[in-house]
Amino acid sequence: MEVLSSIYLAYMFVSIYFLLLFIFLYLHNKKNLFAYPELKKNYSVSFVIPAYNEGETIGDTIKHVFDIDYKNIKEVIVVNDCSTDNTKEVVENLQKKYPKLILVNNPKNLGNAGRSKNAGLKFATGDVIAFVDADSYPAKDSLKKMLGYFNDKKVGAITCPILVRDANKFFEKIQDIEYRVIAFTRKLLGYTGGIYVTPGPLALYRKEAIKETGGFDGENMTEDIEITWNLIHHGWEREMCLSTHVSTTVPQKFSDWYKQRRRWTIGGIQCMAKYKHEIFKRGMLGMFVLPFFILQFFLGVVGLGVFFYVGGTNILTNYLFTKYSIVADVPLLTMNQLYITPSFLNYFGIVIFSVSLIFTFISLSIMKKTMMKKNNIFNVIFFAVIYLMVYPFITLIAIYKYFKRETAWGTHDKKSIRKEI
Amino acid sequence: MTSQKIVFLYALIGSLIIFNIGIFMGYMLESSRIEEINSMYASTEIKILDQITQINSLAVMEFDCDSLMKENINFANDIFAEARLIQKYEDANILSEEIISQHKRFDLLRTLFWMNSIKIKEKCDLDFHNVVYLYKYNEPTIEQKSRQGMISNLLGELKEKYGEKIMLIPISGDNDIPSVNLLVEKYNITEFPVILIDEKIVITDVNVLNDVEKYLN
Repeated sequence: MEVLSSIYLAYMFVSIYFLLLFIFLYLHNKKNLFAYPELKKNYSVSFVIPAYNEGETIGDTIKHVFDIDYKNIKEVIVVNDCSTDNTKEVVENLQKKYPKLILVNNPKNLGNAGRSKNAGLKFATGDVIAFVDADSYPAKDSLKKMLGYFNDKKVGAITCPILVRDANKFFEKIQDIEYRVIAFTRKLLGYTGGIYVTPGPLALYRKEAIKETGGFDGENMTEDIEITWNLIHHGWEREMCLSTHVSTTVPQKFSDWYKQRRRWTIGGIQCMAKYKHEIFKRGMLGMFVLPFFILQFFLGVVGLGVFFYVGGTNILTNYLFTKYSIVADVPLLTMNQLYITPSFLNYFGIVIFSVSLIFTFISLSIMKKTMMKKNNIFNVIFFAVIYLMVYPFITLIAIYKYFKRETAWGTHDKKSIRKEI
Repeated sequence: MTSQKIVFLYALIGSLIIFNIGIFMGYMLESSRIEEINSMYASTEIKILDQITQINSLAVMEFDCDSLMKENINFANDIFAEARLIQKYEDANILSEEIISQHKRFDLLRTLFWMNSIKIKEKCDLDFHNVVYLYKYNEPTIEQKSRQGMISNLLGELKEKYGEKIMLIPISGDNDIPSVNLLVEKYNITEFPVILIDEKIVITDVNVLNDVEKYLN
C-alpha cells in the first residue's frame, strides 16, 4: 500500500474514533444534556471584566451582568488596561447607577487579558469569581444554572455555551455554527472530564481553585486555555452548563478572524510547550488533553503537507498534460476520462463525511434549544468543507510565529477578538 | 457526576470494528474488480490461443486469412478497451497487489497478440500496421505521466481515423516481463513512452499526430 493511502487511512481512523466518541457520549447522555444541579448554597460572586478600548460594548456588558437574576453578586470589577477610548468614562458614569461597580485603572498597560484578570482578582472577595469579556453578555439565568455545579467540591470551574450575538452576516452565521458545534461537543467531553478550556466570555472559578493555580499566566496568549490546564494539573474538575449561555460579538472581517484564530493557535502551542512534561502522565491532562492537542496539530500540519503535495502534483500533471495535448491537437477530455472509477477510500471518505455532517446537523438542532436562529444547509456545508479547511494553514503560520517568538498581543488584536470559545 | 472515561475505550473498540469493516469492504470491492479483469483475461486468452492454433495448424488445414484478419481487428479493439479499463481499476486500487500480476498477464497476452499480428501480416500479405505503444508502468515521473496521458488520447484519435488499418497494442515496457524485456532490447529502446511501428520505426518523441501518421501512409 502506498504511503499516501496509509496516511488517508490513518486520518479516517482518527475521524471515526472521535465521531464515535461523541456519538456514544450523546446517546448515553441525551436525556440530561440540559439538566443542571440545583443550587444548594448561596455563593457570593465577584465579576471581573478586563477591558482595553471597549467603550462601545462595555456599558452593555455591565448592564447584562447587573441584570443577572442572582442576589449575591458582591462586586463587579472592571479592569481598565489604560484604554485610549472612552472605556473609563463609560464605567465611571455607570458607577452612579451601580454602586457595586468597581473600576480598577492599571497604572500602565499590561498588554493582555491574563494580566488584567490577575489585577482584578486581587479585589475580588466572592466565593466564586466570574470572568466576563468586555464585549460579552451573560444570560439572565446564567448564575442560577451554573453555580449548582459547585455543589461538588471537586469542581473548580464552570463554563457555558458561547453564542454569536446578532449572527446576521454570512461570516457571523458560519462562526455561529462553529460556536454551537463546539459548545455541544464540549458538553459531551464534559462527561468524560475532558473540558480543556473555560472561555473568556463567561467562566466561573471557585476562588480556592484559582488561588491554587496562582492565577492567569500573563505570558500566555490564551490565558483561559492555560488556566484550565492548570486547574486540571491541580486536580480540579471542570463542568459545562448547556442550559444557559453568554452571547458575544465575533470578528466580522476575515483579517480580524484570522488574527484571532492565529492567536488562539499560538496560545495552544504555548500551553503544549508549558505542560509537555505532563504527556501520558495519569490524569486527563496527560492522557487526553495534551495528546489531543498534539494530535490535532500534527494532523493539521501533515494534512497540509499532503494537500500541497497532492495538489501540486495534480496541478503540474494537468498543466503538462494540457500543454502537450494542445500542441498535439488532441482532446483534453475523452468520454473514457469522464467515467470515474472511485477507489474504496473515496467511498469510505464519503461515508465518514456524511456521518460527520449528520452529526453536525444533530448538534445544531439540539443547540437550537439555546438559540432559535435557523441555519441553512449551505452554511453548514460551507462550514464543514471550506471554513474548517483554513485551520491547518493557520496552524502552520502559528507554529512559525511561535518559533519566531512573535507571541505578543497586537494592539488591534486586543479589542473584540480575544475570546476563546 | 460520574465520569464516563470508559467511552474512550468503547470508541476505540467501535472504531476498530468500523475501520476493519471498511477495509474488508474495500477488499471486496477491489476483488470484484479483479474478478472482472480475470473474466476478461479468460476470454482474451481463449481468443489468442485460438488464433495461435490457427496459425500453427497451417500445415494441416487451410489458412483463412480473412477470418483471421477480422478476428485480429476485433481483438485489437478489445485490447485497447481492456487496457483503459485495467488502467482505471489500477488507479483506484489501494489494498490488493493482485492487480499488478493481472497487468503482467495482460501484457503477456498483448505481446502474444503482437507476435501473431506479425505472423498474420507475413503469411497473408496484408496491408495493416502494427502500432505498439510501450509505456512506463512503474513510478512514471510527472512529465512521463502527462505525456503518456496525451499519447493515449492521441492513439485513440489515430485508431478512430485509421480503423482497421492499424493494430494498436499498448504494453507496459518496464513491468519486468522477460519476453517484453527481450523485445525492448532488440529495438534498442532505452526510454518510455515509445511507439514502435511495424517493428521498424521507433518514435521516442511524439508531439503531434503527424509524428506517427507520417509512417502509416
